[in-house]
Amino acid sequence: MLTRELAIATFENGELVPDRLTRKSDAAYLGYAETMLEIYRAGVGQTRRSLHAAVHRVFQEQIDCPGRRILAFCKLLDDASEYSKGDRRKVAQLRQSVFRSAAKQHPLVVERDSLFESQESEVKRRIAEEHGMDWPELHDKLFSDLIEYHELKSFKGFVDGVALLSRYNVAQTQVVMFDAVRMTVTATGDFKQILRYAKLARLMHRITKRPDHYRFEFDGPASVLRSTHRYGIAMARFLPGLLSCRGWSIVAMLRATPYRPPIQFRLDDACGLVSGVVAASEFDSSVEEAFSKEWGEQPRDGWRLERETEILHRGQTAFFPDFVFVHLDGKRVMLEIVGFWTPEYLSYKANVLKQFRDQPVLLAIAQSLKEKMVSPLDHPAIYFKDTIKIEAVLEMLRSFRESFDQTLGNGRKT
Amino acid sequence: MNEQPPKPTKILNQAYLDFSEGTLVLDQWSSQAITRIFGDSIWKWDERTHSWRANPIHYPAIRSILDVNAYGTLDRVPQWQPVVWSQIQLPTLRAEQIAAVNAWSVTRQGVVVMPTGTGKTEVALRIMADQGCSTLVVSPIRDLMYQWQRRILNGLGYDAGIIGDNTYNVKPISVTTFDSACIHMPTLGNRFKLIIFDECHHLPGPIRSDSARMCIAPMRLGLTATLERGDGQHSKLDQLIGPLVYRLDISQVRGGSLAEFDIFRVPVFLNDRERVRYDQLSEVVSSYVYERRQDDANFTWQTLCAETQRSGQAGIIMRAYREKKSIEDRAEEKLRVLEDLFRLHHGTPMIIFAGSNAMARDVSRRFLIPCLLNHCGKAERIDYLDGLRDGVYPAIVANQVLDEGVDLPEVKVAVVIGGLASTRQAKQRLGRILRRRGEERAILYEVVAKDTNDTGRSRKRRKSDAYAGTRNRNV
Repeated sequence: MLTRELAIATFENGELVPDRLTRKSDAAYLGYAETMLEIYRAGVGQTRRSLHAAVHRVFQEQIDCPGRRILAFCKLLDDASEYSKGDRRKVAQLRQSVFRSAAKQHPLVVERDSLFESQESEVKRRIAEEHGMDWPELHDKLFSDLIEYHELKSFKGFVDGVALLSRYNVAQTQVVMFDAVRMTVTATGDFKQILRYAKLARLMHRITKRPDHYRFEFDGPASVLRSTHRYGIAMARFLPGLLSCRGWSIVAMLRATPYRPPIQFRLDDACGLVSGVVAASEFDSSVEEAFSKEWGEQPRDGWRLERETEILHRGQTAFFPDFVFVHLDGKRVMLEIVGFWTPEYLSYKANVLKQFRDQPVLLAIAQSLKEKMVSPLDHPAIYFKDTIKIEAVLEMLRSFRESFDQTLGNGRKT
Repeated sequence: MNEQPPKPTKILNQAYLDFSEGTLVLDQWSSQAITRIFGDSIWKWDERTHSWRANPIHYPAIRSILDVNAYGTLDRVPQWQPVVWSQIQLPTLRAEQIAAVNAWSVTRQGVVVMPTGTGKTEVALRIMADQGCSTLVVSPIRDLMYQWQRRILNGLGYDAGIIGDNTYNVKPISVTTFDSACIHMPTLGNRFKLIIFDECHHLPGPIRSDSARMCIAPMRLGLTATLERGDGQHSKLDQLIGPLVYRLDISQVRGGSLAEFDIFRVPVFLNDRERVRYDQLSEVVSSYVYERRQDDANFTWQTLCAETQRSGQAGIIMRAYREKKSIEDRAEEKLRVLEDLFRLHHGTPMIIFAGSNAMARDVSRRFLIPCLLNHCGKAERIDYLDGLRDGVYPAIVANQVLDEGVDLPEVKVAVVIGGLASTRQAKQRLGRILRRRGEERAILYEVVAKDTNDTGRSRKRRKSDAYAGTRNRNV
């Protein structure tokens, strides 16, 4: 990620617009990006300082390119690089040895006189000789452990210029999020992915269901106590994941800075930003895919099959059933497929399910897991070997309907 | 009190008070019970987790309320340990240090203001020794963190844990930096009973102050030489640490525990090449500003700074401005003056303060004297500091790294060749050289590029009361 000092953003019509190189007038940047990649690919063994100087030279002709943008490219390229740290100890020893020999001759004067005899260039020549080099070489070596003198070991960066520019555009938007105190995501799809990425970024959520969408509010533990941008970095980290999803828009509340008042920042899935994060495939497993295909579009026994249209939540625990059966009369039963999971995930899942024991959930459990289930189940279950049998499911749905009739819809809550 | 404590309306199950991710969490209490027992302000309802949350800084207040009315609430917050010192070897404190310890001990929360060189660290070590509890020392930079670690080892015989500089070793006594403290406080906030903020004027600031807010420590000590901040934020220290409990002014200790000192200003001139370039750049900057003001009377330097983000032209102006500053900072003449000062004080250890890392390295390479910068490892740094004290090295040059609190060997001559125009930095720097030793007077030289902004900064610097009585000297 970039640092705050490298952020470029402007105001357009009262909206904050992070720098983005996608306009027609930016066409030249694709070429620059390719050249920068060549510099780094061919740059193994060169110092960070000379690589950065080379990158700066790329933009020599581009007079209106702000310095920050060049530095931002350097940072992104460095982030994808590995540098050798040099032998800090050896350089420190060289310095100490040089300073110790010079100490006896202090002060080194430009012109010697009767009182002070240590002529600068002469002493330097001699000390350099003692260390087996000439003065210009010693001059360069003396501080070669500084970060700008580290040498490039390997560069495993971007596949092409387009990828580098995409990364740049996303990175500039990420920096904006550093100032975010709260973020609201309106989602019409990919809920599960969005919440999963938020959890990975260690954000906390609040979920509100609206007729045609969900509203997620993201912030952190201390956010209820005070307005803080402490979790802005987590929101920035969350962004690439979000960009790989569909059906969302966000409003982030940014704190006031010395340069601007508090402001809202908006973005949606049509923003054109592309992140390197790959969206998880639509189906978690082939079992689900096969089942969905076999069930088909048409209702069976009055039940239609829908995918992940529902989120159940209790506090910070959210549960997304794999499928929802919706009956013509409006009754709903959720289906969760417990496939080939690790024991850890299984017990986590069991815990989650426990919190939703009042919900009409049908479990389809892989036969191989039957012995590993430690705690008794809170939900009705069927077991399957390779594929889920439609007939078994329909039978369970029938008994769900019966129990609905008995309890008159009690225990349904969304 | 004669009144019966009011019964909480409803506490359903066993209630717990916990420390969680930099907040205090209380569950099972009804809102009526919260309001009745705690009043309104401390606890906020968190519907996300169905629990009450509070800032850990309020823990002592919450604890004292629960001591009266706990209603079966189980407090699982503090993870403190008593600390037994293997051997305390602290120097006898001077009168003003004892006064500071006593003043703090009344409230056990508060800020002690003492000029650099008057033994703030000894005050803090005494307090640590007396309290014998889990303690975290927070300091601005890595160098100071290591220095605290060393001082604790030497004075209290305890090998403190280090949190920061790519190390995460939490012990009942630990040292850390402001940045690491702020990052890790969500997991550390309940581990320490005493927290010490060294150079505590760095603490205010929206995120940094989390290290005070997210910590439950009932005992808090702030140390600084200069409480005032240019932005007035120092008033926040009152809430974050506690009130000002003791203040020793630099004028009180002149000639006392600090030495008498003289300040000389040495003007230098840019050489012809520098002067031509400097004037060129000045012309570029001022004509741009002039032109812009024709269009927009409200055009300010801030506008320009904001524009550099996007506009290439503004960026060019900014670069010109930076180059100007760099010419002032690295004027060759400064090196010549330095040579003269080295001749003049031959045989006397000297410290040179540079305005930038680049200038510090320029000086180091010109005179082949050690250069103390951030990148110096622990061993190298100790070699230079001890070497200056023992006469192995005649002088050292440094940038900001020495500005605050780093213990220096006593020197009688210091030279400032560029730096920022803040009174705080000026005081810190003076504190460095003003070490009492015999009847000798300390000397501070200030080498300033003439007819440049460098002169203006020096003037601002001397506004600090410590600079009263500056004289000019032509070398």
